[in-house]
Amino acid sequence: MQDTVKAWLENGTIDVFLGYKKVDNHPLPHCFTKARLEELEDLVVSPDRYPLEKIATHMTTAKPEVKIGMLARDCTQRALNVLYIWNQLDPEKIQTLNVNCCPSPLKEKADCSYLRPATVGDYKKEKGVNNAALLEQLSEYGQEERLGRWMYEFQKCIKCYGCRNICPVCFCKECSLEHEDLIKTGALPPEIPVFHLIRAVHMAGRCIDCGLCEEACPMDIPLRLLYRKVNDIVAQVFDYKTGTSASQSPFNILGDSVTLEPKPIQLTGTDS
Amino acid sequence: MECKLVPSICSYCGTGCGLLFEVIDDQIVNTLPMKTHPVNEGKLCIKGWNLHEHVNSFLRLKQPLIKTFGRFIKADWNEAIGLAADRFRNIIDQYGPDSVGVLVSAKITNEENYLAQKFARAVIGTNNVDHCARL
Repeated sequence: MQDTVKAWLENGTIDVFLGYKKVDNHPLPHCFTKARLEELEDLVVSPDRYPLEKIATHMTTAKPEVKIGMLARDCTQRALNVLYIWNQLDPEKIQTLNVNCCPSPLKEKADCSYLRPATVGDYKKEKGVNNAALLEQLSEYGQEERLGRWMYEFQKCIKCYGCRNICPVCFCKECSLEHEDLIKTGALPPEIPVFHLIRAVHMAGRCIDCGLCEEACPMDIPLRLLYRKVNDIVAQVFDYKTGTSASQSPFNILGDSVTLEPKPIQLTGTDS
Repeated sequence: MECKLVPSICSYCGTGCGLLFEVIDDQIVNTLPMKTHPVNEGKLCIKGWNLHEHVNSFLRLKQPLIKTFGRFIKADWNEAIGLAADRFRNIIDQYGPDSVGVLVSAKITNEENYLAQKFARAVIGTNNVDHCARL
Protein backbone atom coordinates (compact mmCIF):
# COMPACT_ATOMS: atom_id res chain seq x y z
CA MET A 1 0.00 0.00 0.00
CA GLN A 2 2.76 2.43 1.02
CA ASP A 3 4.74 1.63 -2.15
CA THR A 4 1.79 2.28 -4.45
CA VAL A 5 1.07 5.65 -2.85
CA LYS A 6 4.77 6.53 -2.92
CA ALA A 7 4.96 5.69 -6.63
CA TRP A 8 1.81 7.72 -7.37
CA LEU A 9 3.14 10.76 -5.52
CA GLU A 10 6.58 10.50 -7.11
CA ASN A 11 5.44 10.12 -10.72
CA GLY A 12 2.86 12.88 -10.41
CA THR A 13 -0.25 10.71 -10.82
CA ILE A 14 -1.54 12.52 -7.76
CA ASP A 15 -0.54 15.69 -5.88
CA VAL A 16 -1.89 14.63 -2.49
CA PHE A 17 -3.08 11.41 -0.90
CA LEU A 18 -5.85 11.23 1.68
CA GLY A 19 -5.41 8.36 4.10
CA TYR A 20 -5.13 7.75 7.80
CA LYS A 21 -2.16 8.26 10.07
CA LYS A 22 -1.80 7.09 13.66
CA VAL A 23 -1.35 10.12 15.93
CA ASP A 24 -0.95 9.14 19.61
CA ASN A 25 -2.82 5.92 18.82
CA HIS A 26 -5.73 7.78 17.21
CA PRO A 27 -6.10 6.96 13.53
CA LEU A 28 -6.75 10.42 12.05
CA PRO A 29 -7.31 11.40 8.44
CA HIS A 30 -4.10 12.79 6.98
CA CYS A 31 -3.04 14.39 3.75
CA PHE A 32 0.19 12.83 2.45
CA THR A 33 2.32 14.85 0.02
CA LYS A 34 5.44 14.42 -2.07
CA ALA A 35 7.29 16.88 0.16
CA ARG A 36 6.92 14.60 3.19
CA LEU A 37 7.20 11.06 1.78
CA GLU A 38 8.64 9.72 5.05
CA GLU A 39 5.20 10.12 6.65
CA LEU A 40 3.94 7.28 4.45
CA GLU A 41 5.44 4.80 6.91
CA ASP A 42 2.62 5.74 9.28
CA LEU A 43 -0.13 5.26 6.67
CA VAL A 44 -2.80 2.96 8.11
CA VAL A 45 -6.27 1.73 7.17
CA SER A 46 -8.40 2.97 9.99
CA PRO A 47 -11.46 1.05 11.15
CA ASP A 48 -12.84 4.46 12.14
CA ARG A 49 -14.17 6.16 9.05
CA TYR A 50 -14.06 9.84 8.20
CA PRO A 51 -15.63 11.37 5.07
CA LEU A 52 -12.40 11.53 3.03
CA GLU A 53 -14.38 12.31 -0.12
CA LYS A 54 -15.88 15.34 1.62
CA ILE A 55 -12.37 16.60 2.42
CA ALA A 56 -11.50 16.02 -1.25
CA THR A 57 -14.54 18.10 -2.28
CA HIS A 58 -13.36 20.95 -0.05
CA MET A 59 -9.85 20.73 -1.53
CA THR A 60 -11.25 20.77 -5.06
CA THR A 61 -13.33 23.84 -4.20
CA ALA A 62 -10.16 25.62 -3.03
CA LYS A 63 -8.06 24.47 -6.00
CA PRO A 64 -9.93 22.74 -8.86
CA GLU A 65 -6.80 21.41 -10.65
CA VAL A 66 -5.47 19.40 -7.69
CA LYS A 67 -5.15 15.63 -8.29
CA ILE A 68 -6.20 13.65 -5.24
CA GLY A 69 -5.63 10.04 -4.30
CA MET A 70 -7.47 8.43 -1.42
CA LEU A 71 -8.10 5.23 0.47
CA ALA A 72 -11.48 3.98 -0.64
CA ARG A 73 -13.90 1.58 0.94
CA ASP A 74 -17.02 0.51 -0.92
CA CYS A 75 -18.95 3.41 0.65
CA THR A 76 -16.23 5.85 -0.48
CA GLN A 77 -16.57 4.50 -4.03
CA ARG A 78 -20.34 4.97 -3.96
CA ALA A 79 -19.97 8.49 -2.58
CA LEU A 80 -17.43 9.32 -5.29
CA ASN A 81 -19.83 8.08 -7.97
CA VAL A 82 -22.54 10.39 -6.67
CA LEU A 83 -20.08 13.30 -6.44
CA TYR A 84 -18.97 12.69 -10.06
CA ILE A 85 -22.59 12.68 -11.23
CA TRP A 86 -23.26 15.96 -9.48
CA ASN A 87 -20.05 17.55 -10.84
CA GLN A 88 -18.49 18.05 -7.41
CA LEU A 89 -15.41 16.03 -8.31
CA ASP A 90 -13.75 15.17 -11.60
CA PRO A 91 -13.14 11.40 -12.05
CA GLU A 92 -10.00 12.26 -14.05
CA LYS A 93 -8.47 13.90 -10.99
CA ILE A 94 -9.30 11.20 -8.43
CA GLN A 95 -7.29 8.01 -7.88
CA THR A 96 -8.55 5.46 -5.39
CA LEU A 97 -6.68 2.79 -3.48
CA ASN A 98 -9.31 0.21 -2.60
CA VAL A 99 -9.37 -1.30 0.86
CA ASN A 100 -11.49 -3.95 2.46
CA CYS A 101 -14.68 -3.06 4.23
CA CYS A 102 -18.16 -4.52 4.02
CA PRO A 103 -17.90 -8.29 4.48
CA SER A 104 -18.59 -10.54 1.54
CA PRO A 105 -17.39 -13.98 0.39
CA LEU A 106 -14.94 -12.19 -1.88
CA LYS A 107 -13.26 -10.30 0.94
CA GLU A 108 -11.69 -12.20 3.76
CA LYS A 109 -10.86 -9.19 5.90
CA ALA A 110 -13.55 -6.66 6.76
CA ASP A 111 -12.59 -3.40 8.33
CA CYS A 112 -15.28 -0.85 9.14
CA SER A 113 -16.50 1.03 12.20
CA TYR A 114 -20.08 0.23 11.20
CA LEU A 115 -19.48 -3.44 11.85
CA ARG A 116 -19.34 -2.95 15.60
CA PRO A 117 -22.45 -4.57 17.07
CA ALA A 118 -25.24 -2.07 17.69
CA THR A 119 -26.42 -1.82 21.27
CA VAL A 120 -30.16 -1.29 21.44
CA GLY A 121 -31.81 -1.02 24.83
CA ASP A 122 -35.11 -2.60 25.87
CA TYR A 123 -36.99 0.70 26.04
CA LYS A 124 -35.94 1.63 22.52
CA LYS A 125 -36.98 -1.82 21.28
CA GLU A 126 -40.39 -1.31 22.86
CA LYS A 127 -41.04 2.33 21.90
CA GLY A 128 -38.72 3.17 19.05
CA VAL A 129 -37.10 1.75 15.98
CA ASN A 130 -34.30 -0.77 16.29
CA ASN A 131 -31.28 0.55 14.37
CA ALA A 132 -30.40 -2.97 13.27
CA ALA A 133 -33.90 -3.76 11.96
CA LEU A 134 -34.59 -4.51 8.32
CA LEU A 135 -37.13 -2.60 6.22
CA GLU A 136 -39.36 -5.68 5.99
CA GLN A 137 -39.45 -5.96 9.78
CA LEU A 138 -40.56 -2.33 10.03
CA SER A 139 -43.43 -2.79 7.60
CA GLU A 140 -44.85 -5.42 9.95
CA TYR A 141 -45.92 -2.62 12.29
CA GLY A 142 -49.26 -0.96 11.50
CA GLN A 143 -49.12 2.52 10.00
CA GLU A 144 -50.05 4.25 13.24
CA GLU A 145 -47.59 2.29 15.33
CA ARG A 146 -44.84 2.90 12.82
CA LEU A 147 -45.47 6.65 12.91
CA GLY A 148 -45.42 6.56 16.71
CA ARG A 149 -42.15 4.68 16.76
CA TRP A 150 -40.49 7.06 14.28
CA MET A 151 -41.78 10.08 16.19
CA TYR A 152 -40.23 8.62 19.36
CA GLU A 153 -36.91 8.53 17.51
CA PHE A 154 -37.23 12.01 16.00
CA GLN A 155 -38.24 13.72 19.24
CA LYS A 156 -34.91 12.70 20.77
CA CYS A 157 -33.07 14.88 18.22
CA ILE A 158 -30.83 17.51 19.85
CA LYS A 159 -30.60 19.44 16.57
CA CYS A 160 -26.84 19.23 16.19
CA TYR A 161 -27.33 18.68 12.43
CA GLY A 162 -24.27 16.44 12.51
CA CYS A 163 -26.03 14.09 10.07
CA ARG A 164 -25.98 16.87 7.50
CA ASN A 165 -22.48 18.07 8.36
CA ILE A 166 -20.73 14.71 8.10
CA CYS A 167 -22.64 13.51 5.03
CA PRO A 168 -20.22 13.04 2.10
CA VAL A 169 -22.96 13.71 -0.45
CA CYS A 170 -24.31 16.85 1.29
CA PHE A 171 -22.59 19.52 -0.74
CA CYS A 172 -25.35 21.99 -1.69
CA LYS A 173 -24.15 25.57 -1.58
CA GLU A 174 -27.59 26.66 -0.54
CA CYS A 175 -28.95 24.31 2.12
CA SER A 176 -32.61 24.84 2.93
CA LEU A 177 -31.59 24.62 6.58
CA GLU A 178 -29.59 27.83 6.16
CA HIS A 179 -31.84 29.58 3.68
CA GLU A 180 -32.60 33.09 4.93
CA ASP A 181 -36.17 33.00 3.58
CA LEU A 182 -36.99 29.69 5.23
CA ILE A 183 -35.21 30.00 8.56
CA LYS A 184 -34.34 33.48 9.77
CA THR A 185 -31.13 34.04 11.71
CA GLY A 186 -31.97 33.89 15.39
CA ALA A 187 -35.21 31.94 14.87
CA LEU A 188 -35.70 28.52 16.44
CA PRO A 189 -34.66 25.56 14.27
CA PRO A 190 -37.53 23.74 12.49
CA GLU A 191 -39.98 21.69 14.51
CA ILE A 192 -39.60 17.93 14.78
CA PRO A 193 -39.97 16.03 12.41
CA VAL A 194 -39.77 18.71 9.67
CA PHE A 195 -36.00 18.64 9.32
CA HIS A 196 -35.76 14.84 9.42
CA LEU A 197 -38.38 14.27 6.77
CA ILE A 198 -37.14 17.03 4.44
CA ARG A 199 -33.64 15.65 4.75
CA ALA A 200 -34.95 12.14 4.06
CA VAL A 201 -36.57 13.38 0.83
CA HIS A 202 -33.37 15.19 -0.17
CA MET A 203 -31.47 11.94 0.34
CA ALA A 204 -33.42 10.25 -2.45
CA GLY A 205 -30.92 9.35 -5.16
CA ARG A 206 -28.11 10.81 -3.07
CA CYS A 207 -27.69 8.63 0.04
CA ILE A 208 -25.06 5.97 -0.52
CA ASP A 209 -25.79 4.11 2.74
CA CYS A 210 -22.39 4.72 4.33
CA GLY A 211 -23.90 5.11 7.79
CA LEU A 212 -21.68 8.05 8.82
CA CYS A 213 -24.79 10.06 9.78
CA GLU A 214 -25.96 7.40 12.18
CA GLU A 215 -22.47 7.13 13.67
CA ALA A 216 -22.39 10.88 14.22
CA CYS A 217 -25.89 11.02 15.72
CA PRO A 218 -25.65 11.61 19.49
CA MET A 219 -29.17 10.24 19.96
CA ASP A 220 -28.82 7.05 17.84
CA ILE A 221 -31.71 7.86 15.52
CA PRO A 222 -31.86 5.05 12.90
CA LEU A 223 -31.12 7.43 10.02
CA ARG A 224 -29.56 4.77 7.84
CA LEU A 225 -32.81 2.80 7.92
CA LEU A 226 -34.85 5.90 7.07
CA TYR A 227 -32.71 6.83 4.06
CA ARG A 228 -32.56 3.19 2.96
CA LYS A 229 -36.36 3.26 2.71
CA VAL A 230 -36.23 6.43 0.61
CA ASN A 231 -33.70 4.89 -1.76
CA ASP A 232 -35.72 1.70 -1.87
CA ILE A 233 -38.55 3.78 -3.36
CA VAL A 234 -36.07 5.36 -5.82
CA ALA A 235 -34.95 1.88 -6.88
CA GLN A 236 -38.58 0.79 -7.34
CA VAL A 237 -39.68 3.85 -9.29
CA PHE A 238 -36.60 4.63 -11.39
CA ASP A 239 -34.73 1.34 -11.28
CA TYR A 240 -31.75 3.42 -10.09
CA LYS A 241 -29.41 2.14 -7.40
CA THR A 242 -27.69 5.18 -5.92
CA GLY A 243 -23.92 5.19 -6.07
CA THR A 244 -23.47 1.96 -7.98
CA SER A 245 -22.33 3.73 -11.14
CA ALA A 246 -21.09 7.15 -12.21
CA SER A 247 -23.69 7.39 -14.98
CA GLN A 248 -26.59 9.83 -14.99
CA SER A 249 -28.97 9.95 -12.04
CA PRO A 250 -32.73 10.37 -12.67
CA PHE A 251 -32.54 13.39 -10.33
CA ASN A 252 -29.80 15.13 -12.24
CA ILE A 253 -31.61 17.27 -14.79
CA LEU A 254 -28.58 19.46 -15.48
CA GLY A 255 -26.91 16.84 -17.67
CA ASP A 256 -27.06 16.62 -21.47
CA SER A 257 -29.91 14.15 -21.57
CA VAL A 258 -32.04 12.13 -19.21
CA THR A 259 -31.25 8.50 -19.77
CA LEU A 260 -33.50 6.91 -17.19
CA GLU A 261 -37.26 6.63 -17.58
CA PRO A 262 -39.53 6.11 -14.61
CA LYS A 263 -40.75 2.55 -14.32
CA PRO A 264 -44.53 2.03 -14.13
CA ILE A 265 -45.38 1.97 -10.43
CA GLN A 266 -46.39 -1.45 -9.21
CA LEU A 267 -48.72 -1.44 -6.28
CA THR A 268 -47.51 -4.24 -4.05
CA GLY A 269 -49.50 -3.46 -0.93
CA THR A 270 -46.41 -3.76 1.28
CA ASP A 271 -45.59 -0.08 0.95
CA SER A 272 -44.19 1.35 4.14
CA MET B 1 -2.01 22.79 -1.94
CA GLU B 2 -1.73 21.98 1.71
CA CYS B 3 -4.42 20.20 3.69
CA LYS B 4 -4.02 19.45 7.37
CA LEU B 5 -6.39 17.83 9.84
CA VAL B 6 -5.53 19.31 13.20
CA PRO B 7 -6.77 17.55 16.34
CA SER B 8 -8.14 19.90 18.97
CA ILE B 9 -10.56 20.17 21.88
CA CYS B 10 -13.84 22.03 21.62
CA SER B 11 -13.55 25.39 23.36
CA TYR B 12 -17.25 25.89 24.08
CA CYS B 13 -17.97 24.03 27.32
CA GLY B 14 -16.29 21.97 30.00
CA THR B 15 -17.10 18.61 28.43
CA GLY B 16 -14.00 18.72 26.24
CA CYS B 17 -15.08 16.96 23.06
CA GLY B 18 -12.32 15.96 20.67
CA LEU B 19 -12.48 17.36 17.18
CA LEU B 20 -10.49 17.86 14.03
CA PHE B 21 -10.10 21.10 12.16
CA GLU B 22 -9.87 20.77 8.41
CA VAL B 23 -7.24 23.33 7.37
CA ILE B 24 -6.84 23.92 3.63
CA ASP B 25 -4.11 26.40 2.64
CA ASP B 26 -4.01 27.84 6.17
CA GLN B 27 -7.76 28.46 6.24
CA ILE B 28 -9.94 26.50 8.65
CA VAL B 29 -12.79 25.31 6.44
CA ASN B 30 -14.56 22.62 8.45
CA THR B 31 -14.85 20.87 11.81
CA LEU B 32 -15.16 17.10 12.21
CA PRO B 33 -15.70 15.13 15.41
CA MET B 34 -12.81 12.87 16.45
CA LYS B 35 -14.15 9.33 16.12
CA THR B 36 -11.77 7.75 18.61
CA HIS B 37 -11.94 10.44 21.29
CA PRO B 38 -13.07 8.87 24.58
CA VAL B 39 -15.25 11.86 25.53
CA ASN B 40 -17.50 12.31 22.50
CA GLU B 41 -16.90 9.12 20.45
CA GLY B 42 -17.44 10.80 17.09
CA LYS B 43 -20.37 12.96 18.08
CA LEU B 44 -20.70 16.73 18.57
CA CYS B 45 -23.38 19.28 19.42
CA ILE B 46 -24.37 22.10 17.08
CA LYS B 47 -21.86 24.50 18.63
CA GLY B 48 -18.97 22.10 18.18
CA TRP B 49 -19.93 21.36 14.59
CA ASN B 50 -19.75 25.07 13.75
CA LEU B 51 -16.59 25.90 15.69
CA HIS B 52 -14.66 26.84 12.54
CA GLU B 53 -17.09 29.64 11.74
CA HIS B 54 -16.17 31.94 14.60
CA VAL B 55 -12.44 31.59 13.91
CA ASN B 56 -12.89 33.12 10.46
CA SER B 57 -15.72 35.52 11.37
CA PHE B 58 -15.10 39.13 10.45
CA LEU B 59 -16.95 40.09 13.64
CA ARG B 60 -14.30 38.41 15.77
CA LEU B 61 -12.53 40.62 18.33
CA LYS B 62 -8.80 40.49 17.74
CA GLN B 63 -7.60 43.27 20.03
CA PRO B 64 -8.92 45.19 23.04
CA LEU B 65 -11.29 48.09 22.47
CA ILE B 66 -11.77 50.98 24.89
CA LYS B 67 -15.09 52.78 24.95
CA THR B 68 -14.29 56.47 24.68
CA PHE B 69 -17.11 59.03 24.35
CA GLY B 70 -19.54 56.24 23.45
CA ARG B 71 -17.40 54.73 20.71
CA PHE B 72 -15.10 51.71 20.73
CA ILE B 73 -11.52 52.70 19.97
CA LYS B 74 -8.78 50.10 19.30
CA ALA B 75 -6.19 49.97 22.07
CA ASP B 76 -3.20 47.87 23.13
CA TRP B 77 -3.29 45.37 25.97
CA ASN B 78 -1.24 47.45 28.46
CA GLU B 79 -3.53 50.41 28.00
CA ALA B 80 -6.69 48.29 28.33
CA ILE B 81 -5.51 46.39 31.42
CA GLY B 82 -4.26 49.64 33.00
CA LEU B 83 -7.63 51.28 32.47
CA ALA B 84 -9.51 48.26 33.88
CA ALA B 85 -7.26 48.22 36.95
CA ASP B 86 -7.76 51.95 37.55
CA ARG B 87 -11.54 51.63 37.29
CA PHE B 88 -11.56 48.61 39.67
CA ARG B 89 -9.47 50.63 42.15
CA ASN B 90 -11.94 53.54 41.99
CA ILE B 91 -15.00 51.29 42.37
CA ILE B 92 -13.50 49.30 45.28
CA ASP B 93 -12.41 52.52 47.06
CA GLN B 94 -15.82 54.08 46.61
CA TYR B 95 -18.26 51.17 47.12
CA GLY B 96 -16.19 48.42 48.81
CA PRO B 97 -14.83 45.10 47.45
CA ASP B 98 -18.24 43.35 47.52
CA SER B 99 -19.40 45.63 44.73
CA VAL B 100 -17.27 43.51 42.39
CA GLY B 101 -18.08 39.95 41.26
CA VAL B 102 -15.97 37.52 39.27
CA LEU B 103 -17.63 35.15 36.80
CA VAL B 104 -15.42 32.34 35.54
CA SER B 105 -15.90 29.81 32.79
CA ALA B 106 -15.97 26.09 32.09
CA LYS B 107 -14.04 26.90 28.95
CA ILE B 108 -10.82 27.78 30.74
CA THR B 109 -8.53 25.36 32.60
CA ASN B 110 -8.73 24.35 36.26
CA GLU B 111 -5.58 26.34 36.96
CA GLU B 112 -6.98 29.47 35.34
CA ASN B 113 -10.19 29.08 37.34
CA TYR B 114 -8.09 28.75 40.50
CA LEU B 115 -6.21 31.94 39.61
CA ALA B 116 -9.50 33.73 38.99
CA GLN B 117 -10.86 32.89 42.45
CA LYS B 118 -7.49 33.84 43.95
CA PHE B 119 -7.77 37.15 42.14
CA ALA B 120 -11.28 37.68 43.52
CA ARG B 121 -10.44 36.72 47.11
CA ALA B 122 -6.87 37.96 47.54
CA VAL B 123 -6.65 40.94 45.19
CA ILE B 124 -10.18 42.33 45.12
CA GLY B 125 -11.19 40.98 48.53
CA THR B 126 -14.62 39.52 47.81
CA ASN B 127 -16.21 36.08 47.90
CA ASN B 128 -18.39 36.92 44.89
CA VAL B 129 -17.07 34.18 42.60
CA ASP B 130 -19.32 32.13 40.37
CA HIS B 131 -19.05 29.78 37.44
CA CYS B 132 -21.03 29.49 34.24
CA ALA B 133 -21.69 25.78 34.80
CA ARG B 134 -23.67 26.72 37.94
CA LEU B 135 -26.06 29.09 36.17
